[in-house]
Amino acid sequence: MITKEAAPAAPAPAPAVPEPPRPAKRRRAWDEAPRWQIYLPLGIYLVFTLVPFYWILLFALRPAGSTSLVPWPMTTAHFEKVWTDRGFGTFFQNSVLVGVATLFMTTLVALAGGYALARFDFRIKRGFMLALLCSQFVPGALLLVPLFEIFAELRMINSLGSVIIAETVFQLPLSMILLSNFIKNVPYSLEEAAWVDGCNRFRAFRVVVLPLLRPGLIAVGSFAFVHSWNHFLFALMFLNNQEKQTIPVGLNTLMSADSVDLGALAAGGIIAAVPVVIVFAFIQKWLITGFSAGAVKG
Amino acid sequence: MKISILGRSTGRGRRGRTSAAVALGAVLALTATACGDDGSGGAGAEGDGKGEIVFWDNNGGVRTDIWKEIIADFEKANPDIDVQYVGIASTEYQSKVDTAIQGGSMPDVGGISASMLAGFAAQGALEPLDERLEGSSLNGKLNKDMIESLRAAGGGDDRLYSVPTSANNGVLYYRTDMFEKAGLEEPTTWDRFFEAAEKLTDKGSNRFGYTIRGGAGSIAQALDAMYGQSGITSFWDSTGRKTTVNDPKNVKALEKYAALFKKVTPAADLNNDFTKMVAQWDSGEIGMLNHNLGSYQDHVKALGVGKFRGIPQPIGPDGKRVQVSNPVDGIGLFKSSKNKDAAWKFIEFAVSAQSNSKFNESAGQVPAHADAAKDAWIAKAEPTKLAADALSDGSTTIVQLPYYLPDWNTISKADNEPNFQKVLLGDMTAKAFLDGLAEQLNEAQAEWDEQMG
Repeated sequence: MITKEAAPAAPAPAPAVPEPPRPAKRRRAWDEAPRWQIYLPLGIYLVFTLVPFYWILLFALRPAGSTSLVPWPMTTAHFEKVWTDRGFGTFFQNSVLVGVATLFMTTLVALAGGYALARFDFRIKRGFMLALLCSQFVPGALLLVPLFEIFAELRMINSLGSVIIAETVFQLPLSMILLSNFIKNVPYSLEEAAWVDGCNRFRAFRVVVLPLLRPGLIAVGSFAFVHSWNHFLFALMFLNNQEKQTIPVGLNTLMSADSVDLGALAAGGIIAAVPVVIVFAFIQKWLITGFSAGAVKG
Repeated sequence: MKISILGRSTGRGRRGRTSAAVALGAVLALTATACGDDGSGGAGAEGDGKGEIVFWDNNGGVRTDIWKEIIADFEKANPDIDVQYVGIASTEYQSKVDTAIQGGSMPDVGGISASMLAGFAAQGALEPLDERLEGSSLNGKLNKDMIESLRAAGGGDDRLYSVPTSANNGVLYYRTDMFEKAGLEEPTTWDRFFEAAEKLTDKGSNRFGYTIRGGAGSIAQALDAMYGQSGITSFWDSTGRKTTVNDPKNVKALEKYAALFKKVTPAADLNNDFTKMVAQWDSGEIGMLNHNLGSYQDHVKALGVGKFRGIPQPIGPDGKRVQVSNPVDGIGLFKSSKNKDAAWKFIEFAVSAQSNSKFNESAGQVPAHADAAKDAWIAKAEPTKLAADALSDGSTTIVQLPYYLPDWNTISKADNEPNFQKVLLGDMTAKAFLDGLAEQLNEAQAEWDEQMG
């Protein structure tokens, strides 16, 4: 039986070495810095960051042909056009399906692979890690034709499954390395304690290790989702049917060879950005915890 | 503490089987979601003229609605044939088709413009259409110049791989309100063009006479301005081996054109592709813009019909109008199609007078079908009418760009667009730029001649 006390115990802390006090002068100087010295650079940075977003909102919300610098009179015509006429409703559903499936598949497989890398020694482990790292330097475009041929053989061209598999495969190496570092940070003795209490390896992992990996899982999962949400190339190449295409491909079709509907393009851009913004708004706390925890090797 | 996998083998066999079962299950589940294209590419059959065909549109998005309308008409007239429409953005079309060719999973029918024709034909992906056209109701009804342009842009075997649908044409758009206010005459000659560009510019008021294309697509526009001013009517000299791009008259013309940058244009024009250029002209105070018929509807939406006009390119000093060719657009039949009979029926329908008229009215381009070119809507779309007149009344000489060269897209884009930016910035002379361009073109032509025997 696993008790609550036994599970998430942190490693015994090293004897605390008292940190030398910072020079009083320096701390005081920083504390007493006028507020404007902080807010002015931040304000300038925000202007550079937010003006392009305002510009997109402006084009999306003002009527076609307007040159007004404020979105008034406001119209939702561009949103209606892209959502219904240009099929963004369908593209959105497809992108959600691809994103969520990639998230679960990447997280699941990376968790299993990461556990193996963290907890087991095997002969080619170093070479395998190196191969994982090297795979990050191979651009997706280079593997496009072989992947296309494989999916054609499997009769998976024009199936969302091909995009989900390709996205998962390309995100696995980094996710696996990240999660293996997280798992290494969980003391092995915790798992051993669980075995002593009667758990098998899987249950010990599920009950003791998994809860401690939450920041890492959120970091890996959210990146898998956001990356597949934004990724253009695989969806463009592997999906032919209009009903199966995703948001980035749909956005691309709003620009023709010699004409562009800027209002529709801006509205499409906002529809594409909203889920990513929401995901980051909800998970930013976990994301920062996740990356800082993963950065420290046990 | 680390443990060895070899030392802990309990349950390994069972785990292995479970993992294999999970992996197999995942693959089968994902495979089960597959449908549509089989990708086998086993191909080349005439078929029975029924069933499904797949059509890839090379300019999807803006043209999607009109194509869907034409397809609906076709399916009504041919209830045994279903057309699956796939709209692909023009910027990605070439790479998508190239990948499909390599992977052996091509559509039945696809949009094939002159600029892409050489590459696809060289890979043996397209079906020659001469015989089919001869036996068709379209025979003799299509614009001969457009057919010749597509024939010349093909694989060098003098065969037709794409049936023309429309021609685009270079247009000089100008703001009538700004010209009237400044008391300027219509920019019908290059002298008037340069005079107006200067007089309309007031940098203090953020008003400019012209917007130049310095980013993607800059070379074709610069060539148009060069040949238009110099009056040289052929891209190659009499031997056919040396290009005329670095002829002293063209060098002088480019110097004059490039000198407009920053003097009468916004400085941001250095990175102008057509999107930025058109958006800038539609939303700011800029006197003139060179683009093609395709952006006419954007200008109408932004400015209304009363504030601007679109006229053919200016006339040169010797009274001649010389323009470089815009790629003719068309529809091709892929060799791998298993249903060529039905695919050809669709091509015939799409290029018929009624469909061709409908398509070009929506696209604002010059129809390939002679009967469609006589329809009433052309008289109402002024730039299209003027372009159609200019192309057919003998007033314009077209300099045919070498779309047939497999390296043309690389030379005219990736290789030389950055150098053109150097010319605009004054970091490279017009002569050095054109000499470099000429050298590459001459080499490409020599290679082409060698391959063709």
